[in-house]
Amino acid sequence: MTLKILLLTAFGGAFVTYFLGKVSSKLRNYFAVFVSLTLFVAVACLYGKSAENFSYFKFFGNTLVLRVNSLSWFFAAAVSAFGALSVIFSLDYMKGKENLDFYYMMMLLVNAAMLGIVFAADLVSFFVFWEIMSWSTFLLISYSGKNALPAGIKYIVMSLIGSMAMFFGILSIYVNFHTLIISEIARGIVSASSGYKIFILVLFGVTFGIKSAVMPLHTWLPDAYTESPTPFSAVLSGMLTRMGVYGFLLFFYVVAGASFFFDIDAGISKFNYILCWLGAITIVIPTFIAMLQNDAKKLLAWHGIGQGGYMILGIAFGTSLGLAGGILHTLNYSICIVLLFMSVGAVEYRCGGVRDLNSLGGLIKKMPVAFAGALLGISGLIGLPLTNSFVSKWLIYKTLILKSHPFLAFAALIGTWGTILSVYKFLHNNFLGELPEKYENIRKSPVSMQIPIIILSSAILLFGILPGIPLKVINTIITSFGFNSLNVNLWGIASETGTLNTINIFTAILIAGSVIWMLFRVGKKSFPVTQDDNYAAGAYVPAGKYNYTADFYAPLFKIVKPYLMDFADKFFGWLCRVFTGFSEGVRKIYAGDVGYYVLYILFFAALLFFVQSGGKSW
Amino acid sequence: MVIKLIALPLIAFVIGIFFLGLFRKITARIHRRYGPPLTQPVIDIIKLFYQKSVSHGRLFDFGIIVSLAGSLAVILFLPFAGICPLESSGGLLVIAYLLLFAPLGIALSGGEAANPNISIGISRKLILSLGYEVPLILILLAVMTHYKTISIAQIVSMQQKTGWAVFSAPLFLSGISYILILPAMLGVRPFDIASAPQEISSGVKVEYGGKFLALATIEHAFHLFIGISLFVNLFLGGGNVFVFFLKMIFVFIAGVFVHSVFPRFRTEQAVKYLWGWPALIALLGLVLAVTVK
Repeated sequence: MTLKILLLTAFGGAFVTYFLGKVSSKLRNYFAVFVSLTLFVAVACLYGKSAENFSYFKFFGNTLVLRVNSLSWFFAAAVSAFGALSVIFSLDYMKGKENLDFYYMMMLLVNAAMLGIVFAADLVSFFVFWEIMSWSTFLLISYSGKNALPAGIKYIVMSLIGSMAMFFGILSIYVNFHTLIISEIARGIVSASSGYKIFILVLFGVTFGIKSAVMPLHTWLPDAYTESPTPFSAVLSGMLTRMGVYGFLLFFYVVAGASFFFDIDAGISKFNYILCWLGAITIVIPTFIAMLQNDAKKLLAWHGIGQGGYMILGIAFGTSLGLAGGILHTLNYSICIVLLFMSVGAVEYRCGGVRDLNSLGGLIKKMPVAFAGALLGISGLIGLPLTNSFVSKWLIYKTLILKSHPFLAFAALIGTWGTILSVYKFLHNNFLGELPEKYENIRKSPVSMQIPIIILSSAILLFGILPGIPLKVINTIITSFGFNSLNVNLWGIASETGTLNTINIFTAILIAGSVIWMLFRVGKKSFPVTQDDNYAAGAYVPAGKYNYTADFYAPLFKIVKPYLMDFADKFFGWLCRVFTGFSEGVRKIYAGDVGYYVLYILFFAALLFFVQSGGKSW
Repeated sequence: MVIKLIALPLIAFVIGIFFLGLFRKITARIHRRYGPPLTQPVIDIIKLFYQKSVSHGRLFDFGIIVSLAGSLAVILFLPFAGICPLESSGGLLVIAYLLLFAPLGIALSGGEAANPNISIGISRKLILSLGYEVPLILILLAVMTHYKTISIAQIVSMQQKTGWAVFSAPLFLSGISYILILPAMLGVRPFDIASAPQEISSGVKVEYGGKFLALATIEHAFHLFIGISLFVNLFLGGGNVFVFFLKMIFVFIAGVFVHSVFPRFRTEQAVKYLWGWPALIALLGLVLAVTVK
């Protein structure tokens, strides 16, 4: 019952927001924030509950059902939290833009659809909510018009291909098992042939691969992230793309079942290793492409693809540790990337829409909160110790090394170095170095932007120092999949092959830091100078002309640029051109001249006659 | 335990500072100069603490503290002659990540000033790190795969049974590759592109004076200690305090010899070198470590 009300609130809230906007824009804003916060509280209250089969609707003789368990709770909590934070962030960011009623309605609708997806217990509701999500995402991506429109179309075309694959899969499942309820399918699929299982997993793999941007299917993502309004970029990167990860988990471990998933032999190698390698490729290439980007949002977008690779790698590898790492990384990465998009948004908002990393710089003193957010966000993406992603990456690396897959581990580790270079460029070119003169009078980011940034920054540190908080929930998820339970405590994870103890790391750094700080205090007091008061080794430095941000990694680019091309994008572009050419050819049939049509009819009649006579009249 | 926790950083400090003094002395002798006394770095550090300095803001102060704290933490996780108080807290992977604190801290600290030399220094440092991390990760993975553990203490103890890793069958290629990249990791010539005093006035450290420079010098000393001690642990089989120190000195002096006779690489030359033979040998080493059990 509660789930039904929750979803009703979510969808109803979205539509009510639209109509409230016609009355008063202030009321609409407050109501949108209220709805999203209510949803978060409601989801949070479901913690630890596990219930199945709330039937809520009849559909052609099938009952549509909802359920809640630890897996869906984990994703629902993240969805509603990021949803609420980005609605709050929107308040100032979107001020003065057009069509705001529509914007807020869509933001809430996307959230509602995602909640629907994670609570759905049968494939029809799953598909319906999935489609609502895809379409409202399309509308939000192309919200700003101009460049955003092609980005949106690219997204929706790829998304439709995915949906069709899923639809086909659902039909096939229904024909074979006569049920659409996920838990019943899971029981039925055990007896299916292994060829059929591969068929189903590949169909759904395409759907979820497109959504979570696994490497050859990633091409929609960079443009979509870049062109959406920034608060929605945050939602898109934070949870929406990760619905693909939820789908993978659901189909590999709940529907197909772990034991079965690892038994499949795809001819060349095991099915899950193929997926692992796709994940590894997805880590390496995009993080290095990210280094070449000069648009702050595009740089983050490529990381959205790259970090997704870690999740796929952890989930597909499928040991208790790897799976826990993959799921934990989904949450950790989302926190970081939402935070980073928000600080880009704050900079963009204050600097008049500028995101070009070659022309910004030195904003640290002007926007300290945005800087702190960006600093913690990049530390999290890198996975520095004491930030959240460190734990998840540690789990993934350790699994790969101890299970003797060093080449996968190499991909994961070198991906981290690509991340370091590109995110440092992001931080430096936004906030450090010399401040361009035109930004002398920039003000701090508004409060509605600072609140989400501060909350997310503290989450990064909290989950980094006490990783046991999310790991406890994840532990219940992986035990529900039938894996061994992990020995989780509040500050890390203990296992027979090596322990991680974040409290030790934290204390070591804290004590070392305080010793150094005391040493620092003992020394003679330094006197403060301004940012531009620099030592130039005897050379004259004219102010405002020595901002070393353009071509930050020029020497490296010379070496790597020729190798870093988006081959998949080129291929799909070629495919599109071929398809357009073909369609143009087909169009020529409709010549517009009646004579031709008569000719067609005559030919067709002749053909029918020929067939009817069975070729005797020949 | 507590004694070890206090003793280890002190040992690292003494050895690191000694290395700095030795560095100048040996270089001077190769250049046929007399050179400063061995204690010169200590005198410098004490003197610098009494000198005045400028600060560009909070991050400028905070960055250098974080950087040194990171180095100190690494030292606690890294066994020195079997002394390792925090060995059971994550192993080699934690060290690989903790090593990031030092360069990132200094980079952040410098970033608050608007000096272009700092930005250039940071960019070069990051590029160089990416250059040597490719072979280094391959090497570390070969070691971890061969010994089937991520704990350095265990790697050291296994070498005491089977002999030094650098001379053992599946790991000798990795060892050779490690020797080839060691100068880049220590930041000595031909790889001193990130500091490059004659070109970019020491890069990230250009704004440092007084106590900042003193702390940066200590950081440099720790950096030398960590780089060499990691190599001795992973490939030269550790040893007791005396043997360990002897091995470190040996590696260090070899590094100084390279430093004294080579000119500086350009950035892209350095990356091309590191991604050439060292990476190739390291890759072969990893393949060998995976195939030979």
